[in-house]
Amino acid sequence: MPQRSIDAFKVLSDYEYAATLTNEEWLSLSGNPEYHTLIADDPSLAEELIARFGMLVPGFSAALAAAASVPLTGFGPTVNRLAGRGGGSAAPSNAEFSIVGTSVPRTHGFGVVTGVGRYSENQTLPNMLFMKTLGSPYPHARIRSIDTSKAEALPGVHYILHRFNLPEGYQDVSLGSGPPFRYLFNEELIQVGAPVAVVAADSDHIGDEAIRQIQVDYEVLPAVVDFMEGTRPSTPKQWDNRLDGTILTIASPFVRGDVERGFAEADIVIENVTSMSTIQHAALELTTDLTWWSTEGARPQLTQIGPKRHAHGARSAIAQALKVDQSQVRVITPGYLGMSFGSFRDTDLPEIHSALLSWLTGRPIRFMSTRSEDMVTRTHRTQTRNESKIGVKRDGSITAFFTKKYGNAGAYRGGGGTGNSLGLAELYTIPNLRQENIDVFTNMYRYGSYRCTTHPNDTLAREPLIERAAYAINMNPLDFRLRNLSEVGNPETRRPFSNPGIRDTITQTAAAIGWREKWHAPKTREVRPGVFHGIGMACHECNHGAGGAPSTGSVVINADGTLTVVSGAAEVGPGERTVMAMIAAETLGIPMNRTRISPDVDSDFTADTGVTAGSRQTLSGGWGIHLAALDARAQLLDWGARKFVDDARVAGQTIQVSADQLDVRDGLVSFKDDPERRLPIAQVIAFASNPIIGRGAHIHPPTWERVAFATHAAEVEVDTVTGTISVTKYVAAHDVGRALNRMATEQQIEGGVIVGLGLALTEQLLVDGATGIPINDNILDYKVPTIKDVPEKIDVIMVENAKEYGVFGAHGIGEPPAALGFSVMVNAVYNAVGVWVEDMPLTREKVLNALKGR
Amino acid sequence: MKTFELHDATTVQQAVTLLGQLGPTAKVLGGGSDLISGVMKDWIQGKGMPLPSALVDITTIPQMTTIQVSGSGARIGAAATLTSIIEHQEIRRGWPLLVDATESVASPLIRNFGTLGGNINQRPRCWFLRGEKFDCYKKGGDFCFAVTGDNRYHAIIGGELCYIVHPSDTATALVALSAKTKIAGPQGEREVAFDEYFIGPRTDVLRENILQQNELMTEVSLPPLASNTKTAWIKLKDRQVYDFALVSVAAVVTSENGVWRDGRIVLGGVSPVPYRAKVVEDALQGKDIRANITAAAGAIRSVARPMSANSYKVDIAQGLIERAVLQALA
Repeated sequence: MPQRSIDAFKVLSDYEYAATLTNEEWLSLSGNPEYHTLIADDPSLAEELIARFGMLVPGFSAALAAAASVPLTGFGPTVNRLAGRGGGSAAPSNAEFSIVGTSVPRTHGFGVVTGVGRYSENQTLPNMLFMKTLGSPYPHARIRSIDTSKAEALPGVHYILHRFNLPEGYQDVSLGSGPPFRYLFNEELIQVGAPVAVVAADSDHIGDEAIRQIQVDYEVLPAVVDFMEGTRPSTPKQWDNRLDGTILTIASPFVRGDVERGFAEADIVIENVTSMSTIQHAALELTTDLTWWSTEGARPQLTQIGPKRHAHGARSAIAQALKVDQSQVRVITPGYLGMSFGSFRDTDLPEIHSALLSWLTGRPIRFMSTRSEDMVTRTHRTQTRNESKIGVKRDGSITAFFTKKYGNAGAYRGGGGTGNSLGLAELYTIPNLRQENIDVFTNMYRYGSYRCTTHPNDTLAREPLIERAAYAINMNPLDFRLRNLSEVGNPETRRPFSNPGIRDTITQTAAAIGWREKWHAPKTREVRPGVFHGIGMACHECNHGAGGAPSTGSVVINADGTLTVVSGAAEVGPGERTVMAMIAAETLGIPMNRTRISPDVDSDFTADTGVTAGSRQTLSGGWGIHLAALDARAQLLDWGARKFVDDARVAGQTIQVSADQLDVRDGLVSFKDDPERRLPIAQVIAFASNPIIGRGAHIHPPTWERVAFATHAAEVEVDTVTGTISVTKYVAAHDVGRALNRMATEQQIEGGVIVGLGLALTEQLLVDGATGIPINDNILDYKVPTIKDVPEKIDVIMVENAKEYGVFGAHGIGEPPAALGFSVMVNAVYNAVGVWVEDMPLTREKVLNALKGR
Repeated sequence: MKTFELHDATTVQQAVTLLGQLGPTAKVLGGGSDLISGVMKDWIQGKGMPLPSALVDITTIPQMTTIQVSGSGARIGAAATLTSIIEHQEIRRGWPLLVDATESVASPLIRNFGTLGGNINQRPRCWFLRGEKFDCYKKGGDFCFAVTGDNRYHAIIGGELCYIVHPSDTATALVALSAKTKIAGPQGEREVAFDEYFIGPRTDVLRENILQQNELMTEVSLPPLASNTKTAWIKLKDRQVYDFALVSVAAVVTSENGVWRDGRIVLGGVSPVPYRAKVVEDALQGKDIRANITAAAGAIRSVARPMSANSYKVDIAQGLIERAVLQALA
């Protein structure tokens, strides 16, 4: 074990610090759940680290070794489409598959739509106690004393745990990086809702009364509520900070060419400021865990059941926090859940409190947070402010682009939603580019991922300005984009795109919405008194959906010829488990109705295949399963060959058969050149005497620039009396590589569009500026759209440009669809009413104020 | 949630007696969608707003859930559900404004549970009032956080001390329809016009109406609409279900040849009480409505006192008054 605890966030952001790590400390990062969450949510964080420290960086060494032996090819400024190289014409068509490319209903969809599936809330144990948390009422305060005597006197209260009675050895346990540290219980509270004490009681209601009977003497401290205020030198520091105020990091700028020269060469230079409000998932399912210790065997064993997006990551985080071995912790994530799209990002304090309370009371602990606790203390996509500048020539070329992004990291040490935009680096040809990023700590909502981390903000910092530039030079924004499109790859790393479909997403979106016929000069189409028509579009590129290590899986072909798929890929809603089963079934030629995958992931029975984040599981878990199925297939065909030989021997014949002469389809092993000579799989397994076990572990070589491409466009009607923005038509085109499950991919895009519109139009989590206390931490006042608020029809276009790095050519689709709504709405509203409203969300007050020039 | 006693009343008299016996922290329970799953679940309390220790359920009183319509108008039991009002054919024919307003409340699920009396008497939605950590005037504290804080949804007319807006859609419609209510108390029953029922923070910051703790709203009565009278309801909300009015307008217009003879224009979501826009009505009196509505609607600006972040609501109120009156005429 290393002597010091390694700050994962610091490793990824402060290379001087990273340079001080010993080999042993680098190794310890591979078991650090925060490290894995950070790079899964934002793979670009690791890029610079790999460039500097190469093979030392956990999770990449094998891939780097593999890449070192394969020189990069196919990259050059003149290569526009990597035809033949990227899969395009060479890739098999959907017709060659029997399961992949079709629409397969969820393997456990029945339990979801009927509610009979076993959700975490349905899990109970005899004798369980209920945990309630007393959270800080202040954004920043120090606890002087805690008096629990009144609460303890309440009948039904079993245990109250807080900073001052924590068992020996747990005072120094913190989650994530620091300073400031997030201990199990802080003496210095850095956020509203930060735990002051937890109560174990006979019921939720008793616990609810008990936490209000705990007397706490607080010393209220100055808080940073406005993140831009956190950047000022006069703002009081909250830890020994060598930067101004509460700034966490000022990243080394991304520099290409010379932006000052680029702006000087431009005919027109335009600036804008775009900003994002704090948003939260409002997942239907609240944080819910059932936690208990058992004492079978020599050592105590902890089990926790709850909705999580990474059973193995939770296991490792819980083990670290409790200072036990990973083999003493078992985590089960039910596949029935109403969460994620980035919520439940990591293991948080209640999960550890539950384990301690269960140990101290000897009883199972059930914890279910309140809506307010979920909305305030779990993660968010937090505020950003982007100051951008573009230089263009009248011929439509871009000479320079500059962005400076500020991100509100909230009450923890980590990223704040800024980062270098891939969309700027490689979506358009921009010869001079500079990107700066500053992340700020506040005593506010904590940063995390919500259907992506930084990319929706990247797109917001870019696309409205792209549109402004087009208007400024009197060019149709569609033509401006097509003119500047770059379809090559990353100019800095020289990694090429694989079969990029960006141009197709633009042209097909434009055709579907009727861009050429409908686009008009701003505020020129009044459709009813005071109501104006507008149309806008945006393009998007990000590195989500790329996959990466760990990437494992296994399959079992059972005695009756059925297939069991064993994957550690947590279901978080969009049908990961169904896709794992489809990949295995397709690879093995076994029908879906003979294939089983459990809805839940149990860390005891599966290998780690990483967190279901970064839209990565289709490629990460998927590659693991695909290789496992190929492994099983090879064994099956080998046993099939032996079985054919043996059958012939029994019939008095001598034949020679090898596995490569055989194929397996529809549950039958047959000769390739004579499909009528065939055996049911069950007979092969019976002959083999054992079930066949296939295993897979994939190395993802960094040969390709693995990115998702999309274009969205919308028509809106903006009411200048009420400020209402109605979306009348929405088109979303995505380069999905290949849609493995056609229905699920379509749903994922539709769902993302709806999320994107809600975030663009109504959702924002607010605090009272004077006190720093949340004011709309509930789903009445935090306005998530309902089915009545979304466009009746969303046209989904799936561009299937198969990727060479993808399982069957696929690229992940989870996050990108939610990333464009902001920019599409800004652009469409401008086209409708001629004002730029670029501060999210586009509430009616902002629209009306802009129209009135207020 | 805090432990409480639950009493099922079977008669109005019994309910009044129980309220008296159980004392100041006893509350009337209708559908419970605000009282239980709002105020009590969220521990909304203060010196002037104690959490209920006992609830008296009045939905168990049969006579309080009935709806009767005759030539002299309609009588709706205060415990009738919102859905039962929406589905009542004679109410639909006679008072479409009330039906439209009722149908714009929350969602089908809540309308199935929520009662008319409950909708009228629910507590305001101000996010400071509803925040456990804000001890505001309305809870008996000594501050209005909306004055310094985020007041985008707060009052633009008639705020004083406290800047809540009245949350009820049905109340807005009932004032426009010149409805009355019956109140039962220890001294028996009295009838009060809704014009006199709602009170602003200057009168009593702890309450939104004249109902005393030991009293019970039993019935709402609606007079028939005068001849040549048309109505309209517009409710602007940020979300089409589960949302309160940002601004709502109930318009009752009695006209002859397009000339305003009588009527009421009542706004929801703008003031601590359902706000009757007399200035607009007066500006239309005896005039051709279509020719004068734009100017008349603008008169609302003369009574509006917007806060730091809600002047956009004045624009909306003005625009929607115009639209509602024209919609009534159409």
